Amino acid sequence: MADTLTGPSAGTRAKGAAGSVPLAASGGPVRRATRHTGHQGRLRRAGIYLGLLAASGFAILPLLWGLSTSFKPESTVLATPVRWIPEHFTLENYEAVLFHSQIPLNLLNSVIVSVVTVVVTLIIAVPAAYSAARYRFRGKAGLLFFILMTSMVPGIAVLVPLYYLAVQLDIYDTYLVMIIIYSAWQVPTIVWILRGFFESIPVEIEEAGRVDGMSAAGAFLRLVLPLAKPGLGAAAIITFVYVWNDYLIASTFVSDPDLRLISVGLYTYLTQYGTVWGQLTAAVMVTLLPMIIAFVVFERRLVSGLSAGASKG
Amino acid sequence: MSGTSTVPTAAARRRRLGPVALYVPALVLVALVSVFPIAYALRLSVYRTRALRTVEFVGWDNFVTVLGPDGWADIARTFVYVLASLVLAVPLGLALAVLLNKQVRFLRVFRVVILLPWVVSQTVAALLWKWLLNGQYGPLHSLFGGDGPLSSPWGSMASLIVVNVWLSYPLATILCLAALQTVPAEQVEASRVDGCTPRQSFFLVVVPAIRSTLLILVIMLTLLYFNMVTLVYTLTGGGPFSGTQVLSLNAFLQSFQFFKIGIGAAYSVVLFALNIVFGVAYIRVLKGKNDG
Repeated sequence: MADTLTGPSAGTRAKGAAGSVPLAASGGPVRRATRHTGHQGRLRRAGIYLGLLAASGFAILPLLWGLSTSFKPESTVLATPVRWIPEHFTLENYEAVLFHSQIPLNLLNSVIVSVVTVVVTLIIAVPAAYSAARYRFRGKAGLLFFILMTSMVPGIAVLVPLYYLAVQLDIYDTYLVMIIIYSAWQVPTIVWILRGFFESIPVEIEEAGRVDGMSAAGAFLRLVLPLAKPGLGAAAIITFVYVWNDYLIASTFVSDPDLRLISVGLYTYLTQYGTVWGQLTAAVMVTLLPMIIAFVVFERRLVSGLSAGASKG
Repeated sequence: MSGTSTVPTAAARRRRLGPVALYVPALVLVALVSVFPIAYALRLSVYRTRALRTVEFVGWDNFVTVLGPDGWADIARTFVYVLASLVLAVPLGLALAVLLNKQVRFLRVFRVVILLPWVVSQTVAALLWKWLLNGQYGPLHSLFGGDGPLSSPWGSMASLIVVNVWLSYPLATILCLAALQTVPAEQVEASRVDGCTPRQSFFLVVVPAIRSTLLILVIMLTLLYFNMVTLVYTLTGGGPFSGTQVLSLNAFLQSFQFFKIGIGAAYSVVLFALNIVFGVAYIRVLKGKNDG
């Protein structure tokens, strides 16, 4: 309570609304405010906001410029002097991207491959993570070490052998080959993250279930899995974003334009005659939108998932 | 653990093997997609190749090429790229985590906006920045003058580092933020009571408390930077005048642009060796943290 009071009052102070200061400062038993009263505290607050604003600007600058370009007619994209606000606002780039290009198909492909990869990854990683969190056996440390080490194999190093393998197995140019590779590369990370989540669930819950006559699998499915939902959610998002954003696999293992993923589809706007920036930026914005929405909605969960993976040993 | 009989019954055996069996799908998958191919890559790296076929055993010849003068230039550029990115991204990420850990107005808005580059792919980041830094039509061209930063080798490298930092500081901020929230406020207050300035209590109390997270972060980012292909490929393509040609990019170009699979494999093996070094360090840190 005290903290939420400090924030706004200090905020308005930083912006120079001096009138509210005495009220807020005397209005409550606010620890922070009493410590940073006066000139120095105000300067400090201003510094914090300045830092946050500068970082926000840095973060969003390239996105805003892309957004601005996507609303310009192609004829004014390459005009000088540069304008941040389009003089003639148009949706023609979006119309071209959404109705007269391969981009919607690319998006659909990306959705299919991402979603199936998420499901496959979870089905494979959950049992391993659960075993790692609950059971002890000889060689367990080595086994975990081995799985984690495979995530140190650089993707670029195995690209050629995998290409060869895919051609031999006749799965080149299919969804399947992408799904297999993406899942394999995500499984180690996801095992690691989920293990942390399973460890945080008290083992007594399963023991109670067992006493009530559940099987080990039943206790896991009906008691543990529902509690691990935040972890599963974080794992799903991390995998989804990874597949959605990958270019290397998508460009190496598929040559059929009908199977192209979105990251590869964007390159069709980089032609040998130059780049069609208006349509390219529109396509980029269309690609980013689902990611941004997912990020805004799941931001908290994502943060906890990422940090669980990095800190739980 | 719970097995009481000396003669293993079927049920006991199942109980003993069950936990191991849960790993099997994961093991099969990573063996097929990561372990077997890296073994194959090791083999390719000591052969001369034509198309996808090995032609003759050449021993270390490919590595002599990779570790020759040109290769060393690649390695030097790789280290410039990785180190400069780390030196910028980690402090920036930590500083922003500290700011986002304070009670400020619009905290959630700031957090979402500042962490936003995390969801942007390397492809999209490269394309957007390429357009932003465009020497003729970009909004920043008056800032740099001439043909823009991407037209000179050093300007390209600097741009590449900036874009890389832009793309990766959110991860640093996320991990630091989570770690900062585990530092007990009482500890910091106690240090203040003992007469530390805010800066002193930050460097003497907070930073040591989140040391292992910082270490893990440095290693994670190092691995990410060493293996980065897409960003470099799309933003600069290694140019101009090879000014941004790093190891990972060359492994990709040799294999898929010049079809020198053997040389490409040798580059990959060097990269893999570097990864192992940092990977082992990563696991050491994780283990150390568990014991401590």
